[in-house]
This record gives sequence, structure tokens and C-alpha cells, in this order.
Amino acid sequence: MSVRAGAVTVIEAALAAVEAERGVINDLNVYPVPDGDTGTNLALTVRAIVDELRLGDEDGVGAVAAAVTKGSLMGARGNSGVILSQIVRGICEVWGGSDALGAREFKLALSEGANAAYRAVKEPVEGTMLTVIREMAAAAQGVPDSLALDKMMVVVEEAGRVAVEKTTGQLAALQKAGVVDAGGYGLLVLYRGIVTGIMDLSASGTGLSAADVVLRGGGARAATAVEPSELSRYRYCTSLLIQGEAIDRDAFEVFLGPIGDSTLVVGDERLVKVHVHTDDPGAVLSEALKHGAIGEIEINDMHEQTRARDERLRAAPDAHGAVVVAVVVGDGNKRLFRELGCRAIVDGGQSMNPSAAQLLEAVEALAVDEVVLLPNNGNVVLTAEQAAGMSSRRIAVVPSTSIPAGLAAMVAFDPDADAVGNARVMEEALQGLRCAEITHAVRDSEVDGVEVRKGQAIGIVDGRLVAADDDLETVYARVLATFAADETEIVTVLTALNGSGTSVERLAEIAADAAPDLELHVHEGGQPLYPILASAE
Amino acid sequence: MPELTLENTAIVLDSTCDAPPGFFDRPGLFMVPLTVHFGDESFRDAIDLTHEQFYAKLEASDVLPTTSQPTVADFTAVFEQARATYEHVFSLHLSRKMSGTCGAAMKAAEAFDNVYVYDTKTVAAAMSLLAERLRTRLEPGCSLEEARAYIEHFIPGSRLLIHAATLEYLRRGGRIGRAASFVGGVFDIKPLLHVADGEVVGYAKVRGQKKALAAMERFLDETSKPNDKIYFALIDAMNDTEPAQMRELIERVRPNAECVLVTHVGAVVGTHIGPGSAAFAMIVE
Repeated sequence: MSVRAGAVTVIEAALAAVEAERGVINDLNVYPVPDGDTGTNLALTVRAIVDELRLGDEDGVGAVAAAVTKGSLMGARGNSGVILSQIVRGICEVWGGSDALGAREFKLALSEGANAAYRAVKEPVEGTMLTVIREMAAAAQGVPDSLALDKMMVVVEEAGRVAVEKTTGQLAALQKAGVVDAGGYGLLVLYRGIVTGIMDLSASGTGLSAADVVLRGGGARAATAVEPSELSRYRYCTSLLIQGEAIDRDAFEVFLGPIGDSTLVVGDERLVKVHVHTDDPGAVLSEALKHGAIGEIEINDMHEQTRARDERLRAAPDAHGAVVVAVVVGDGNKRLFRELGCRAIVDGGQSMNPSAAQLLEAVEALAVDEVVLLPNNGNVVLTAEQAAGMSSRRIAVVPSTSIPAGLAAMVAFDPDADAVGNARVMEEALQGLRCAEITHAVRDSEVDGVEVRKGQAIGIVDGRLVAADDDLETVYARVLATFAADETEIVTVLTALNGSGTSVERLAEIAADAAPDLELHVHEGGQPLYPILASAE
Repeated sequence: MPELTLENTAIVLDSTCDAPPGFFDRPGLFMVPLTVHFGDESFRDAIDLTHEQFYAKLEASDVLPTTSQPTVADFTAVFEQARATYEHVFSLHLSRKMSGTCGAAMKAAEAFDNVYVYDTKTVAAAMSLLAERLRTRLEPGCSLEEARAYIEHFIPGSRLLIHAATLEYLRRGGRIGRAASFVGGVFDIKPLLHVADGEVVGYAKVRGQKKALAAMERFLDETSKPNDKIYFALIDAMNDTEPAQMRELIERVRPNAECVLVTHVGAVVGTHIGPGSAAFAMIVE
């Protein structure tokens, strides 16, 4: 694997980690301005690094490190993004000039990252991401060079987590809101993503050994609604990029001094990123034009953002509401579950049942106390109950034994009700529900008095074989007829028809023929092995 | 001599009571219309548009209608007219959490004696039902205290259960209240909503008419006992079949139930509830 491809893998893992926590980080954001966009800014900054890496193809640490530095500077968004770009710059200066990445280089890189960040900020404030990177770097310095890189990464993570927790007590604004610093926590999340990425690299045989790294996770309590936030002194968060020759950064910083705060002017003589909170973005742009060509202009109304954040936190589901975690297979099915309000999905399905530990992990990752667990497979019900027994949250398992059953239960889900209340109405929704699976026989056999040849389409309704035929459509029609014989009103069909020889249009035609009174809903499910899953209610 | 009778007492309702045709032709009943606007065009609810005309317009219009409440002057004019003939006036209006109508009525009533304004904390046929039931007290005559006591029994005790075809109109009109999480989306869920403490609240999310009727039966079980004397009203928005099913259900599980009126949703309530919906209002006496 090339250095560039390796870097992409690692940064993408970091991006995925930040994306996953983006909302949490946004809501934590109260300092320096409660504009609720730190998660978004960090994610966009990291994404710009990936984009920049994908643009070029020159390999070797020097070129790749330069691309990472440039991408982070060009794409830096917001206060936290610009500070992050300076941490990245410091780290890349060390990395780009070294032949190997060992404990010694890692230590030096972190400390250069911290130094670069402090240099960028005119009046450094403790209790921010500056503090967190400094503490992480300091912890690394205390570790002997002989320690393996994986151990080093764990020590640094530990120090980062402690530093993040302490931020609450370091800044009055954080203390008042009862949160940790958004940028500091974002940095920790990003670091955890990088470690995960390096683990992926080592798993793919690149010689980096970090297989034992187990991070403890956690560190941020979700922000909650408090009284309306105070509005920032200056209204517009303004950032832009200047490209030119011999740009005088100091002069620009002096110009910004009287018209704004949270000022950052970073980069070199040819490429400068500017970030400032001001009431006069126009003046900033005009002045920038004197230094070179401007681009990547971003002006956000922080008063509006603050109001939006307050609104978001007030509208957040109250503490009594439950969320659903479901085991689902198939992209279309996952989408349906999400649209019905399912918060987290664990991959699963026939022959790939998740473990209790995986379910537990999905539950614990959510900052909620009330959880409804939908196993959606007969073989996962017990596992789900095990996971429920192991967790400190209030978990109610609704014993759904198929994807269509899970969807029928989701229909009854009420996000304002608690887990037990939801479990009651969701189980009620399963009563009288009939479920069907249509698949292909894997061997010759005789089941429920029906002779089945290998490869034939078979239709199973509530565990009983009702049809076997070479033609999938014939089996489907017979399943519908079985449904129609009952007092069925609605049939929901989840399809995975690639290569099955039939189409959604045909399924509708057959239904209109075989069971004209039924209300048919067909959705693309995308599950493996079963061209058709269906339920009748 | 009883204090209040049909001859000396008037009832003023706003048009969101969605009364059946002929309701206000009787003496002693007055209606103050809200207004519905399609772009620049304005129509007085229940006067300028029949419910069929309204839904035809709703279908054809590319702008969504909006609604506005009557003014204080509108109420003053009606109160003057009512008080010219009647000694007492009960002015009954839709929930203050849904509209400022009741506020305007209260403001106007300050200038009059014997005008009693109530926030019924409900809407639509539930308000017509209240007026109708109040009239059964006035018919033989009753005291002011008795009339007031009945209204005060009705307001917290009445129920309105709505089977909404869609929540889209409620959501767009901002009248969705705490039912917001009941939005159905792709899965064709037609939610059951009810009005509690003046707000639209989710009751159950169901697919299919059978499940909807089962949930309605549960609602009846939760809000009344089998031998209760129940008075109910049926209302629909371009839904020909469901009111009859509701009636069959209520009369089957509550043998002492009596249907007081059957009506259609008008333009203002229709703006927020959307076509295809049906509802019943009831009170246990």
C-alpha cells in the first residue's frame, strides 16, 4: 500500500468518527460562541484533507504530508477547524521529514502540533482544544521511546480523555452549561478515529502494529437545554483564504484587531487562512483583497446559529422517550427502519447474527436510558435478551422474528413513550401479523407434505411451507392467496429482485390478479437470500 | 321561574364548530366566521364556501390556504345583535392553543353584561355537540349555575378522536402540537389523534382500517364504561365510509350511545386536517 493510500484510510477513519459524533459535538458548542457548529466545522476540515489527498498521486511521506497540511488549511472552517489545521501542520512537519513512524517521531509530532496551535492563537485560553492537545503531547513525552506505538497511542488517548473531562471546570461558559469543550472533545473523537484507522492499516499488513489497541471511549455528556444562550459580541463568523505573494500575516492581524475577536491568521506568505468574528465582514474581505486573491469565503450569522442551537436543544426528545435499536439487513430495509424513527441499526440477518456484545455496544453508544431492541430474527431474540440483561440502560426487547415483523412493530413506535410502554404497543402490533419468506431451496427435501427440489422457489408462511415451484411468481401468488384467505387488509412486500426474473411491476400485477382486495405496499428491501419478504395484517 | 330558557338565551359559536346545514337557522344560535385565504382570495368559513367547494379549491390550488381569526369588532357586532334580543349569551370557542379566536371574543365581551365566553379546549363537531347538549338544558329551562356547570363538565370531559388521513396539513399549518412525532412518512401510517387539554396529541399509529377501528374501541374503553349514557357527533373531511363505521362501532360497544349530529369538516378546520380524515366527538353524561 502506498503512503498516500494509507493516509487516506487513516483520515477517512477519522472523518467517520467525527461524522458519527457531529451532532453531539455541535450541541456541546458553547465557547467561544454558542453557535453549535464545531462538529460540522471539524468534519468539513477533515473532509478537505481527504479531498486534497485524492487530488494528487505523488507518493512518499514528504509529498503526502504536504498535501495533508494544505488540505487542512484550505478547508479549515470555524475557529476549531483553523486551530485543527495548525495542529495538523505541526504534526505533518515532523512526519514529512521522517523515514519511519515510531514512538520517538510520534512524540515529537504531537508536541510540534501543540506548539503550532498555541502559536496561531494570540491569547490562548485554557479549557479548549489547545489544552487538550497540549495535555496529550505532554503525556506522550513522559513515555520512553522504547514503548511500542500502540501502547503510546493508548496513553495519549487516556490523557486526552482526562483533559477533556477537566475542561468543564476550566471555563465559566462550560461550567454554566454543564458541558465539556466541544473542540476538545472533537479533537479526542478525531484522535480515536485516527487510531482506528491505523489499526485497520495494521490489519491489512502494512507493518504498523497496533492490533491490541482498545480505547475506552466515552467522555462527553450530551448537552441539554438551558436558558437562552447569550449572543456573541460580534455577529458574523467570517473566514476566507488568501492566495498571493509575500502576504503579510502580521499586518493583517493588526488590521483585524480593532474590528473583531477570535482572530486567527495562519499559513505562509503564499496561502493564508483568516478567521475572525466581526460585525463588518465586508471590511475583512476588502482588506484581504489588498493582499491577494480571495476564496473559500464563509460568513455565518452566529446570532442565528445560536438561536438555532437553543431551538434544537429545546426540541430534543425529553429524557423519558425511548429510542429503537434494530438488527437489520439490506440497505432498503435499513432506510425503512430509519424513516420510521429507528435510531441505531446493527447489521444482521440470517447466517450473520450479531453477538450480544455488538448489540450492547450499539446501545451503549447512544446517550439515552430507554431503549427498545428489535432482533428481527428468531435466532437473535435470545441474544437481544442477553444484551438487555448486561446493560445498565432500561432495555425492552420486542421479540420480532423477521424484518417485516420488525417494521410492523416500528409503525407503533412512539418516541415520546418510554421503553416498556413502547414494548407493549409494539408487541400488540405483532399479534395476528402473518409473515412470509420466499427463497430458493438449498437441497431436495420433503417439507410439510410438499416435495421440494433443490433450486426451486419456496414460500414459507409463519414457518410453514405453503408453496414450491420452479417459478418464483407462482410461489408469490400462492403466498398472497394464503394471506387473502385470512382477514387480511394490508400486505407489505420487501423485495430483493436482482436476477430473480421478476419485477416490482409484475408483483403488483400478480397481486391485483390473485388478491384484488388487498392493499399492497412494495418496498425495495435489499436483503440477501430472500427475493421476497412479506407480511400481512 | 327558571332563569335561562331558549327564549332568553343565545349561543354564539365560531365557524370551526363545523355545524351541519340548517344548524344556525334556528333562533338563538349565532355564528362568527373565521376566514380562509387562498393567496389573495379570502372566503368567510361556512358562508362563502361549502365544504365540497373548499376541497375542490384545495385540490386545484397550488398555494396552501391559510386561516385567520375573527376580529374583536366581528364579535362586538354579533354580541350586540344577540343581546338586542336575548338576555344571556354563551360564546363557545375553539381551543386557545389552536387559535386566537377565543381571545378576541373575550376582549369583545368586556363591553357587555351577561356574555359568558368559554375556551372549549376542543374544536369542530365537539363544539356543535356542546351547543346542542346545552340547548337540551335550556329547553325546559335551567339556572345560570346549572348551565355553567354543564359547560364546565363538558370541557374537561368531552373527547375528540380523529383518524387523520395525513398529518401533512397539520404540520404545515403549525397546529400539530405534540403529535409531531406521529408523522407517517413512506409507510402510509394513518394516525389516530385526539385533543387533550386543547392540543392535538397522538393516540396511536396504525395501518389499515381494521386496526384503526380496534384502536378506536380501545379509546372508548379507556374513556367510558359499557353502560354509560354517551352523546356523540360524527364528522368527516371527504370521507364517505368511515363515519358509518365509527357509528356502528360506538353503538355496538356502547348500547346507550346516542348520535346527536353528523356533519362535515368546513374550510378552516379542513385547512388543517386534510381530505380523507374522519372523527367523532363524545361526552359521557
